[in-house]
Amino acid sequence: MAADITLAAPIGTASQPSSFAEFWASFRENKGAVAGLVVLSLIVFVAIFADVLAPHSPLEQFRDAVKLPPAWYEGGNWAFPLGTDALGRDMLSRIMHGARYSLFIGLSVMAVSIVCGVALGLLAAFAGGWIDSAISRVMDLIVAIPSLVLAILIIAILQNPSLEKTIAAVTIVSLPRYVRLVRASALSEMGKDYVIAAKVAGVGSLRLMLRTVLPNCLAPVIVQAALGVSDAILEAAALGFLGLGAQPPTPEWGAMVGDGREFIRSEPWIVTLPGLAILVTVISINLFGDGLRDALDPKLKRS
Amino acid sequence: MTTRQLMNSLGVAMAMCLAAGGAANAKALVYCLEGSPENFNPALTTTNTSLDASRHVFDQLVEFERGTTNLIPGLAESWEFSDGGKTVTFHLRKGVKFGAVKDFTPTRDFNADDVLFSFNRQLKPDHPYHMVTGGKFDTFNDMDMGKIIQSIEKKDDSTVVFHLSEPNAPFMANLAMDFASIGSAEYADALTKKGTPEQIDQVPVGTGPYSFVAYQKDTVIRFKARPDYFRGKPAIDDYIISIVPDPTVRFAKLKAGECTLMGFPRPSDLPEMEKDKSLQVMHQPGLNIAYWTFNEQKKPFDDVRVRRALIMAIDKAAIIRDVYGNTGQAAKNPIPPTIWSYNDTVKDYPYDPEKSKTLLKEAGVTTPLDIDLWYMPVQRPYNPNPKRIGEMMQADLSKIGVNAKLVTYEWGEYRKRLQQGEAMTGQLGWTGDNGDPDNFFFLLGCNAARDGGQNIARFCDKTYEDKLQKARQSTDKEERAQLYEDMQTIAHDQAVWFTIAHSVVYEIAKSNLTGYKISPLGRHEFAGADLK
Repeated sequence: MAADITLAAPIGTASQPSSFAEFWASFRENKGAVAGLVVLSLIVFVAIFADVLAPHSPLEQFRDAVKLPPAWYEGGNWAFPLGTDALGRDMLSRIMHGARYSLFIGLSVMAVSIVCGVALGLLAAFAGGWIDSAISRVMDLIVAIPSLVLAILIIAILQNPSLEKTIAAVTIVSLPRYVRLVRASALSEMGKDYVIAAKVAGVGSLRLMLRTVLPNCLAPVIVQAALGVSDAILEAAALGFLGLGAQPPTPEWGAMVGDGREFIRSEPWIVTLPGLAILVTVISINLFGDGLRDALDPKLKRS
Repeated sequence: MTTRQLMNSLGVAMAMCLAAGGAANAKALVYCLEGSPENFNPALTTTNTSLDASRHVFDQLVEFERGTTNLIPGLAESWEFSDGGKTVTFHLRKGVKFGAVKDFTPTRDFNADDVLFSFNRQLKPDHPYHMVTGGKFDTFNDMDMGKIIQSIEKKDDSTVVFHLSEPNAPFMANLAMDFASIGSAEYADALTKKGTPEQIDQVPVGTGPYSFVAYQKDTVIRFKARPDYFRGKPAIDDYIISIVPDPTVRFAKLKAGECTLMGFPRPSDLPEMEKDKSLQVMHQPGLNIAYWTFNEQKKPFDDVRVRRALIMAIDKAAIIRDVYGNTGQAAKNPIPPTIWSYNDTVKDYPYDPEKSKTLLKEAGVTTPLDIDLWYMPVQRPYNPNPKRIGEMMQADLSKIGVNAKLVTYEWGEYRKRLQQGEAMTGQLGWTGDNGDPDNFFFLLGCNAARDGGQNIARFCDKTYEDKLQKARQSTDKEERAQLYEDMQTIAHDQAVWFTIAHSVVYEIAKSNLTGYKISPLGRHEFAGADLK
C-alpha cells in the first residue's frame, strides 16, 4: 500500500521542506519580487495595526483644519502629516485605514474565488458531459461582458451598494479565470500515468480529485491568486470611484479618489495620495506575484 | 478681445453666420450652454437648459423685467380683472410682427388667434396640435393651469378674455413663464397644409428679438437679430449657442474666446476666474433653497422636539464654509430673501449640541438612535455637493448619539422614493419658476403631502394650509405678504426643514459684454446686452 501512496502523490510530504527552500532560493534571486514582498508586508502591517498607528480617527472631522496641505508644504501642520481632505479628516489616518479595506477586499475576493473556482473547475473536469458544458458556457458568458460593466450591473441588481456587495460583484467577475485554469490543468493531469495508476489501484473519485490531481494543479492557481488580489483591489477601487462600492464615510481608496477629483487643480493631494496608495499596493502585489510565478514554474526556472 | 479676434477663433462657424447675416462687422455673441435642448417649444420642456435654446424666439402676454421677477407688459399692452378676479381681459399690442424662418414668411401681424392657438394647444386634449410632439405639457399641468383656466374667448382681434374657475393670485406670474409663450397660428396652418406639423416644435416661429436660423444637433444653434422686433432691433446681430456639457471645457473655451458667456462654473475654478482680467465674474443670490427634512409620519419625527434637536445638532456655518464657499448663504426660511414677503424677523435655530441632547431626552428618545439620511446622487443648482453635506451631518449627528446611515439612489429613483415617503430624513431643494412666493410655499401644503407629492416632510398643518389657500385667492399684495410672513413663522416653529442654504448663481463672461443682467430665474437673456 505504501507504494500506492507514493504513486498517488509525487510531491511527497517528506520532500516539502526542501522544496520550500528551493522555492525561496529562486524567489530571492528576483530583486523586484523581494522589494514587492517587503513593501507588501509593510502595507499588511499598517493595515493590521491601523488603529494603533494612525494619528487620528479616520472619521473625525477637524472643522478648523479643512483642506490642509501635507505638512512639509507652506500652511501644513505636523499634526496632519499628509494634510486633510475637504471635510478636515486626516489623510494619513484615512489612507492607513483604507489599506485595511483594500486588502480585505483583495483577500476575500481571492479566497472566495479560489474555493468556488477550484470546486467548479474540478467538477467540470471530472464530471464532463453536460455539467462541463454548462459550467464552461456560463464562464464564457461572464468573460464576454467587460468586467467593470458586469460588476456595475451586479451592484445595480443587488441595490444599495456596500462593501460586501462589492466583494460579491468582483468575485463573480473574476471567477472564470480560476475555473478555466483549474479545469484545464486538471484535464491535462488526468491523462497522465500516475492518475491512471491511482484509478487502477481503486482510488475513489473524491480522493482522486482532491488528493491526487488537485495538488498538481495548485502552482498556477497560487500565481493567479496572487495576481488576482491586485485585480480585485483595482476593480473595487473603480467601483468605489463611481460611488458603487463602500459607502461614505468609509475611507476606501477608490471612493476617496472619486470624492476628491474636483480638487485636482486646487488641492491636488486630496485626490493624489489615495491614488498613489492604490498604485503602490498594486505594483507590489504584481511584483510579488511575478516572482512567485518565476519561482514556481519549472520551465521558467531553468531557462 | 475685439470682435475680430473673436471671429477668427470661431473660424468656419462664424464665416457661415456672416454669410447668412450679410453684414461685414456684425456683432456676434456665443453662449456656451451646458446641454442640448430636447426641442424648441418652451411649453414642452421644463429645464432652463432647454428653455434657453428657444427663449429668444418668443414673447409672452406679460413678461418678467430683465434681471428681476417684476411683471411688465409683453404682447398684452394692458389687462384688467373683473368678476371678483375670475375674468381677465387682455388688450393686445398692435402691429407686432412674427419673425421669418427658412420655409415660412409670415403675412399677418400678431393677433388674438395666436393667443388662442398657443393656450388651447395645451388646454384642450382635442386640439389638432395637442398631441404633436407627444402632448406632454408638464409645466402647464404642474401649475394646475388646466383647472384654473375655464375657457379663453376672443372678443376681437386685439382683445382676449380668460375665464378662470376661481380667483388665483399667482396667475399673472404664471403667464410670464416660458410655457405661456405665444406661437404663430398662421405658421401652424401652413405646416398642417404641408403635412409636417411636428416642425412647429423644431423650427420655432415667434415674435421675439431673434429668429431661428439653424440647429446642428448637440453642437451649435444659430439665431439672428430681427430688425422689426417690436422693442427695436437688439444690439447683438448674431446670437449663437455652443453646446458644451463639461464645465472645465466651457472654462477653457471662455478663456480662448470661443464663448462670450458661460454658466455653472465649478466652485473650485472661481478663484482663477476672478484673477483673470479678460473675464467678468457675475453673481446673484439664486431663487432657490436647499433643505434637509424629516418625515413626520415616521417616529420619532412626529415630535417637534426631536426635529428641533436634530436641527440644533448640525453646524450650518461649517457646511456653508466648507461646501458652498462663496457660492451660498445660510438659509433660515423656506424662501430666499430675494422674494417679497421674506420674513427677516425669524431667528434661526442656533448650533447647540448640548441643548439638542436635552431635547432628545425630554422627548423620551433613547440614544443611540438609528436613522437614515438620504442624499441626492447629483449636484443641483441649490446644492453643489449633497454627499459632502450628508457626511458632515452624519459626523455632527454622531456627537448627540444619532447614527445616520447615508442612503442614495439614481436621481430619478431617488425623487420617486423620497416622494413616496420611504425616507426617514432626506435632502432636497427647490428652484423657483416665477418669483411668486406661492411657488415655494405650496411645498409644505397638505395637497403636496400625499404619497408621491413634493411635500416630503408630510407636513400638514391646518393654520398653515388655511393661510396658503387664503393667500392664493387674494389679490391684495400686502395681505398676501402678511400671510406668507406668518407661514414662515409656523414653518420655523414646527421645525419642518433644516434649511441649509440659498446658493449664489455664478455666470462668467468676457469683459467686453455690457448691459447683461443675471436673471434670478436662471434665464439667459441677451436682448438688452451689447459687446464693446
